[in-house]
Amino acid sequence: MASEGEQTVKLVSSDNVEIVTERKVAERSMLIKNMIEDLGAPGEEPIPIMNVSEAVLRKVLEWCTHHKNDPAPSQDDDADSRKKTTDIEDWDQKFMQVDQEMLFEIILAANYMDIKALLDVGCKTVANMIKGKSPEEIRKTFNIQNDFTPEEEDQIRRENEWAEDR
Amino acid sequence: MSKAPATAKTPAPPMPTNKDDINGTWNFLEWGVERIMYSLSDGVDLKTYMSLYTSIHNFCTAQKAVGHQASANLNSNHRGAHLLGEDLYHRLNDYLKRHLAGVHAEMVKHADEALLTFYIKEWKRYTQAGMYNNHLFRYLNRHWVKREMDEGKKDVFDIYTLHLVRWKEDMFGSTQNAVMDAVLRLVEKQRNGETIEQSKIKDVVQSFVSLGIDDADSTKTTLDVYRQYFEKPYLEATSAYYEKESQQFLAENSVVDYMKKAERRLDEEKERVPLYLLPEIMQPLMKCCETALIAKHATTLRDEFQILLDNDREDDMARMYKLLARIPEGLDPLRTRFETHVRQAGHLAIEKVAEQGESLDPKAYIDALLEVHTQYAALVQNAFTGESEFVRSLDNACREYVNRNKVCAKNSSRSPELLAKHADNVLKRSTKATEEDDMEKMLNQVMTIFKYIEDKDVFQKFYSRHLAKRLVNGTSASGDAETSMISKLKDASGFEYTNKLQRMFQDMQTSRDLNNDYEEWVSQNIDKEDRKDEVDAYYQILGTGFWPLQPPSTPFAAPNTIIKTYERFQTFYSNKHGGRKLTWLWHLCKGEIRANYVKMNKVPYTFQVSTYQMAILLLFNENDSVAYEDMAGMTSLNKETLDPSIGIMLKAKVLTASPPNAPTATGTVYSLNYGFKNKKLKVNLNIGIKSEQKQEVEDTHKTIEEDRKMLMQSAIVRIMKSRQKMKHAQLVSETIGQIKNRFSPKVSDIKKCIDILLEKEYLERLEGDELGYLA
Repeated sequence: MASEGEQTVKLVSSDNVEIVTERKVAERSMLIKNMIEDLGAPGEEPIPIMNVSEAVLRKVLEWCTHHKNDPAPSQDDDADSRKKTTDIEDWDQKFMQVDQEMLFEIILAANYMDIKALLDVGCKTVANMIKGKSPEEIRKTFNIQNDFTPEEEDQIRRENEWAEDR
Repeated sequence: MSKAPATAKTPAPPMPTNKDDINGTWNFLEWGVERIMYSLSDGVDLKTYMSLYTSIHNFCTAQKAVGHQASANLNSNHRGAHLLGEDLYHRLNDYLKRHLAGVHAEMVKHADEALLTFYIKEWKRYTQAGMYNNHLFRYLNRHWVKREMDEGKKDVFDIYTLHLVRWKEDMFGSTQNAVMDAVLRLVEKQRNGETIEQSKIKDVVQSFVSLGIDDADSTKTTLDVYRQYFEKPYLEATSAYYEKESQQFLAENSVVDYMKKAERRLDEEKERVPLYLLPEIMQPLMKCCETALIAKHATTLRDEFQILLDNDREDDMARMYKLLARIPEGLDPLRTRFETHVRQAGHLAIEKVAEQGESLDPKAYIDALLEVHTQYAALVQNAFTGESEFVRSLDNACREYVNRNKVCAKNSSRSPELLAKHADNVLKRSTKATEEDDMEKMLNQVMTIFKYIEDKDVFQKFYSRHLAKRLVNGTSASGDAETSMISKLKDASGFEYTNKLQRMFQDMQTSRDLNNDYEEWVSQNIDKEDRKDEVDAYYQILGTGFWPLQPPSTPFAAPNTIIKTYERFQTFYSNKHGGRKLTWLWHLCKGEIRANYVKMNKVPYTFQVSTYQMAILLLFNENDSVAYEDMAGMTSLNKETLDPSIGIMLKAKVLTASPPNAPTATGTVYSLNYGFKNKKLKVNLNIGIKSEQKQEVEDTHKTIEEDRKMLMQSAIVRIMKSRQKMKHAQLVSETIGQIKNRFSPKVSDIKKCIDILLEKEYLERLEGDELGYLA
């Protein structure tokens, strides 16, 4: 039997495409890691990743492959300063240069598959897109319809006056 | 588990298609959780696992709910997005309640070991399922549960902990007593020698520990549950078991056997801990066993101690020591008894030798002292691990019997005197050569007793006298042994104690050098002719202050033959050291005389004589017969010295008295015995005189009294000089403190000394009870 490092797993996307990858890569996902821990190595049996399409899954696995040797996140990762900054390492920045649709799909997939580091990178990327923009610019960036009435908008502005950058 | 097989075969309900359909989602989940609970061994396929996970994920991320909640909360303080999942959490909680009610109903049908088996089996199944569910519900854990906990809700737990909380509330509370009873019965069986399945107890311990969820932080565990529901009853049962057993055992068996049993039991309990208990229980468990097995029977054990001592049962005493050492204050009564016993043994040994009365052999006495010490010192080492408190008890006992016993009854300084005498015998050259190792051993024995001697000043006095004799007479067995002994004494009592002894050694060395110098001086300054009538001589110059020697007690006219010789030396010496006065200690001098008038095989006899005897014999160079009164006149010796000196020569038949057997007195005439015969060519006539020795001992005692007064007075003056003012009582106690390592002063003596010092106006009386120092 192949050692854990060389084992492969077969993932199946929501649109029924099989993707074979290293077990180590797949285990960046806590969902898959826990499942293997509970049920044992799946061997040839495909693992259905029900909520992720092929294109997104490939993208996610690309990230996992690059980060497969990262140290496991520690218990107190929440307190980690990494979370507080919006700095993103170069490779991840390039990786995230995708269209908005894909960016959101990646974030949803990371959330679903429980890949905390990828989820963080995705959210930071979005945060950077918002940073320094006016509400109007933000609406434009994300193609959001302004559904506030002028009264509502006025109220919100007054409530959040303290946060204005003056 | 009547339900289980049925559920396993139930076909899966459809995976919910509508994301926010709580009923549909839960139906699907309940089916999955049920499978995990009951038929985990059949396995869960990947698809099912992923479906269950995904349906939880989907429910929690349902769009509609988010929108609905968000607009409703727009004006509330709710921070961030609302997270879904509460419904799922509560439904799972309810499910677990129902599930455990079923398990509980099943469990009460069992009893004792079967119940234990059931509990463990169910516990393992349930907690393993709990871990699976925890993973399946991870999305809920990560979001809804985390948020609730972050907001400080104490009644929301991660899914695994929820399993434990439910077990603790729905199972543990009503079953732990029965479980624990079964555990304790199992342990009792093992204590009674049966083989048990230890793993069961280990599992129960693990279960109880897991249930100790920390109230402050549910992700951590404490040992509270374990302590209250496991440790406490465990310790109580242990106490009860051993109290009963020990009482029964002691009623039917000897104390010695009981000790063995208790020792074994303690070991067993200790070994049991790593097998299936937590290391935390070790200390309280040992304490509980020690109380039941030792403390409760401490009196019985101690009562046996005297019997063991009387019979030298070393192993049993060691056992008793080890047992009683484990309980607080367990050993004190043992030490007291030990001390009394050693003291009695000492007195007993001394009483045996004391029968010899005045002529008590020092060696026999010291051996008696040593024997008891050696025996019990070994016991302290072997049985009581050399423990310092027992050493102190031994020391106390030895000090007591060494200083206050039958031999010392009349005269408290007998012990140091005899010890010094014994040391002298050891260090004196004797016929049988002593091996160096033996010598060292004997000296160490002397030191052993020395340590206990209270009147160390008495020992010092006698020792220095004996040493002086050995040095002057050249009778030391070995210089190395002498130095070794002095350095031992120095280590024990300090530099000042041995100062004089060391000076005596120095004098001997200086004398050797001086004699060499003198020889050279003679060869350079005295004519050959002049040297002819000289007598070969060796001189020892002894510093008056350091040597415990008295000037001669009799006048003496030295014979002409030696006058020239010693006067020449005197000239040499005063040239070298102007202003020093030489006093000749004639009574310590000796010489050899060749008797040319009697020969054995043509070789003349040689007499070893004292200077006094020499003076007497030399008179016979002029006449063959000398009258007593002429002898007295020409030697100037007093009667006390002259008579015994003649006596020895009469006894050795060097001289004959006329009339025969006449008293040594005026009128008696002495003649040389030309028919003298002896087996040896060298005849020693210089034999110590009994009465002289006795006189010496008495003198020594007298000087001790004087020295003590001086010692006390100088201590008092020293203290007062530094303090200037002091209360009377305080001064007395400090004086005792300063000199108690020399001897134990009596308070009345110190008071006398203070009075003397007041009289001499070193001190003055002040107001109240105070004394002042007068410079």
